[in-house]
Amino acid sequence: MAMDDILKDIWDRVRKRHLFPELPSPKYGQGEPRVGLDIKGKQISISREFVEQMSLKLDQDDIVEGLLDHAVSHYLYCPWDLATHLKLYAEAKNVLKDKQMAQIATDYFMDIVADTHCVGQFDTPLTNLYRRLNKGRLDEVVHAVLQRIWGVDLGVVGHTDISRKLSRLPYLDRKYWTESIRRFAGAIQSFLENETKQGGEANSPNPMGRHTPGQYSSQEIEEGLMQLANEAATPDEFKEIVRDFETEILDATRLGEEAMGVGPGHSLDADILYYMKLAENYFIPIRKKPMQASGSLYPHHHIPWEIGHPYQDVDPWTSFGKFMPPITQTWQRREGEVFGREEGVPDCVLIIDSSGSMTNPRQELSYAVLGAACACDAYLRNDARVAIYNFSDVDAGGRKILPYSDNRRDIYRAICHYFGGGTRLRVENIETLQCDGMPDIFLITDMQITNLQLLIQYFNDCENRVTAVHVGDNKHVREFRRAMDLNPNVGIYAVEEKSDIPRIVLGKIRDFFY
Amino acid sequence: MGEPIIGCNMKPKKDGALREAVLEIYNFIGENLYLNRPDIEINGDKFNSTLLMSLLTGLCQGKELIIGEPGLGKTTSAEYICSLLYCFPLGTIWAGEVSGHPEQTEEKIIGRPDLGKLNQGEEVVVWSHFTMLPVKIVDEINRLPETKQSIILDGVDRGNWEYLNDAVMNREYCLFATANYQDRATHTMIAPLIDRFDLMVESKYPGPNLAYTIGAQSAKDDILRHGELEDEFKSVLNEKTPVGQRLERIAELRARFGEALMHTSGIRSLSDSERRTIRSRLEAVRFDLDANAFLRMVLAELSFCCRFGQKRSQDNCEKGCHFTEYLCYAVQTCISNRLPMSVRIFSQALAWLLGDKEVDLRHLKAILPYTLAHRIQWKEETIARQEREARSDPLEIHMAKKAVKNMHRRYMEQGTQVKNALAVACRIVEGEALEPIQGDHPIYWEISKDLGKELIQP
Amino acid sequence: MRNPFQEFQTVSFKKKNLPLSRIVRAKQDVMAHILEGYLNLVEAEAKDFVWLVEQSRVLKTYSEAVKYVQSLNYDQDDIEEFCGELDGSTKVPYVIEGPAGIYVSALVNQLSDDRVVLRLKDYQKKFHLLGYRLPVGKTLILQGDIGDFTGTGLAGGCLVVEGSAGNWCGAGMMQGEIRVAGTAGWKTGEWMKAGEIHVEGWIRGVGQNILGGRIYEQGKLVSPQHRGSQ
Repeated sequence: MAMDDILKDIWDRVRKRHLFPELPSPKYGQGEPRVGLDIKGKQISISREFVEQMSLKLDQDDIVEGLLDHAVSHYLYCPWDLATHLKLYAEAKNVLKDKQMAQIATDYFMDIVADTHCVGQFDTPLTNLYRRLNKGRLDEVVHAVLQRIWGVDLGVVGHTDISRKLSRLPYLDRKYWTESIRRFAGAIQSFLENETKQGGEANSPNPMGRHTPGQYSSQEIEEGLMQLANEAATPDEFKEIVRDFETEILDATRLGEEAMGVGPGHSLDADILYYMKLAENYFIPIRKKPMQASGSLYPHHHIPWEIGHPYQDVDPWTSFGKFMPPITQTWQRREGEVFGREEGVPDCVLIIDSSGSMTNPRQELSYAVLGAACACDAYLRNDARVAIYNFSDVDAGGRKILPYSDNRRDIYRAICHYFGGGTRLRVENIETLQCDGMPDIFLITDMQITNLQLLIQYFNDCENRVTAVHVGDNKHVREFRRAMDLNPNVGIYAVEEKSDIPRIVLGKIRDFFY
Repeated sequence: MGEPIIGCNMKPKKDGALREAVLEIYNFIGENLYLNRPDIEINGDKFNSTLLMSLLTGLCQGKELIIGEPGLGKTTSAEYICSLLYCFPLGTIWAGEVSGHPEQTEEKIIGRPDLGKLNQGEEVVVWSHFTMLPVKIVDEINRLPETKQSIILDGVDRGNWEYLNDAVMNREYCLFATANYQDRATHTMIAPLIDRFDLMVESKYPGPNLAYTIGAQSAKDDILRHGELEDEFKSVLNEKTPVGQRLERIAELRARFGEALMHTSGIRSLSDSERRTIRSRLEAVRFDLDANAFLRMVLAELSFCCRFGQKRSQDNCEKGCHFTEYLCYAVQTCISNRLPMSVRIFSQALAWLLGDKEVDLRHLKAILPYTLAHRIQWKEETIARQEREARSDPLEIHMAKKAVKNMHRRYMEQGTQVKNALAVACRIVEGEALEPIQGDHPIYWEISKDLGKELIQP
Repeated sequence: MRNPFQEFQTVSFKKKNLPLSRIVRAKQDVMAHILEGYLNLVEAEAKDFVWLVEQSRVLKTYSEAVKYVQSLNYDQDDIEEFCGELDGSTKVPYVIEGPAGIYVSALVNQLSDDRVVLRLKDYQKKFHLLGYRLPVGKTLILQGDIGDFTGTGLAGGCLVVEGSAGNWCGAGMMQGEIRVAGTAGWKTGEWMKAGEIHVEGWIRGVGQNILGGRIYEQGKLVSPQHRGSQ
């Protein structure tokens, strides 16, 4: 039987066994003879050369089935998604302090987990495959562990201590994966160092293939990065992981992922990507079309006709052709309710303070920037444009103005810019951003603005809807509140916790939109 | 018939002449009448979802809601299916269609008094064609005001149509309703009505190449027309004889139409007894254990609330609930009992059509999104998260497909444990002293509730 | 009453058991006992609110720790894992540094293995009082930077620190050898009676009250030749 037919038959079997995972049919690909498997964008490719070589030692069906079981287990169980994969990698890197070693450790850990899950659930020829694989030194260690935890002989002798140590890890308990991979990486560190000295993966690649972000679909990558941004304590934590996989992420999202801020010709600005993904965790819905009266009357229900009432709405059918109260029925008409036209969402001018008293968004999580990002996303999603006025000490050149734009990346770049200088703005700059449509104005600051009086006067004179969000309380805040007290267009919100900024911003936008 | 047009590559299976006949009908419509692209794949075979689901609706006596932009074949696809499955010429089907507009009345939809008899003091109902015919098409149902939607509610649900003191009970019927997207002239569909539909599908744009071909075809409907028979149908339906008698005469006319179709187009339509046989066969298709367990898992996720006992529209889930990652957090209301009924019958129909002995996960995965799309009320934040995602389906169907995919993934991970939990529960009910298996999914909690053991809130 | 689970009657609910489950379960049992011993020790010690490093106190705590540990069946991987639990697990509600280090020392000393390697470099916490009373014939290798009072009361064993040690390294040691690959802190060798301390890096400050033994810094003898702090 031809290899392709064998593959198709075996895939049907494997697919059914694993309860029909949403994976495209695997195919044979060009690969090197030492590596059996490659997964890109969920597409499983089996190396024809590998299968042909291995078939000297093992039945071809078993080889293919074992590889497919392995690939599907990775999809179904470990790492499950990109966020988990990256978290495991981050833990390994914390221990090993080296990107390549961390990647290898993570790959092997995930292989052990996925294969153990598979062996524990099904009768699979994976054990036969492992028994016959050509093993590098690190493979031997891993197979020694597998021997212990599966209770099968994989033909490995030695490595008693390390395999005993590693067999104690609760591989099948997801909640302990981060702890387990730390211990795993620590235990095999010396082996990894030897591997690296001897030329690393080039000399003895993992026969089950490497795991990179490329194996996920672009949608999965977006979701994974969003989750990672949400769970990272600081921008640095996020950046460190993402930078290590920059090439793979860019490659995997090559097909016009403009919304993600990546795409051909762009490098991955991890700082901006962090806030983009984090802001995606805060959502307000797109405005729905309002219901309104249709303006036309339609027959709604019948009421008994009485002498003296108009007769033009009498329903002859319901009245059985008779003019006889109370038999005769007449229509009561009502105005219908239909979907109306929606009003457009105005554009937004976002004024963000990036003076020295504000958090540097590239070093720590800046809720001010996050709030601004949430506001921008809300307007962009409702097909409005956003202009940015990022200020510090404008007279000393500390300002960044982005005219109205719907380019998410450019907007985020403007928001994330940090000057760290004094705090003085120019109202003329804000005035240049006024347009016919009376844009909404959002101001996010700690209110310690040197020329606050000018700003107060400007807001009192303008007719825009203004929302000022500030952190903390000080004399400038009190001054601002007093001055804006009688202005119905201006809303001022103090936040105790900076983490409230996105909620307040979105709450206000919701009031505007709905 | 010519070469198969892209979008239709179903090959009839060898076993089952009836199955072959149904597949031929599918192929015939797809190649000649309703030209569109395949947009779903089931076990390697590609189908057009609108046509497939409509076909299953016709076979199962179901109720389908077809949405889409104006002019994309929503109504015509339903008409073709009805014509070929139930053996009516198109003209008769058109005469029985109800169109949705605000001026509709009960008298126009269901029936009216015979005015001549009424003047003589007799109450005799003149039933509409819509009421009498087993194939019911309501065009642009969301243009009916809510009060008018209520009028057809009961009839839609049970096939009972009442007017004055008389009633017609349809022994066999299927219902197709079309709806455009929301615009100035449309109303909302009331929740009780929308829940009664088994499926919702979208009739998509076929693409410029197929659209051009459609434009170039002239009078394709003539294949399903028969002027002489249509006149006879009309006069029989308009007779003033008992409905039962008229329906018997209609059955003869349908047989004649079927013969005429065979003669002119070579296409075999189905007789009443054949449809009955198909229904009995597909009702006999069993669920395999995985499909069974998966469906229970789906129902659990869509109805469970750890805090309030079950999902209710007026109860709000709190942030940080233990089950945030499950669908119960993302939806607002509890799923109705009509869902498992719809899923069951349509999955069986699909399995039968594909020649499979049992319903398995593939069939469920294919059917579930279309049975869920119109029934789930998502929370605003869930909609907001997904409404801007790239997709090829309307938002409701896209979200339903995604939900099914996520639930399926969860099932793949813990399916064995779920089945074990159900097996242990079976033994406990039979009296064995076992403890229910615990796990981190609503289904385990629901099993414990069924066994009378409440789990501690997480 | 209708059995809604009837269709699952035929499902066999015995699942494949890999040796992994048994290994992990056994390990968890051991860890539970070790933790129980530690928590009992800490409860006993916590009555005085403040735990000070003074000789009689340390000895008493060590004796208590040995009592808890003697009956346990564990290996050096369990000890390392216990250190991990002390580092950041929710199973340990509070950590008192002194008793924690003494408990670990008791675990090491009571183990039958002659050579114990503990990888501690991955943990945030620095452990104190490790190597307390390490007996003759035992080698303890600590990978990573260690806290204060390392090798206190060393009783003839060989303590190797593959990292830096804190203050009071080797304080009160009676015999044996301490080797530190990195640096050592203040009061190194204070009150030591015999034995040797080799520090390959620099020593912040040698103890002022050294009763015997030798201290080497970067291969050079600094005590008894050098008296007082540097």
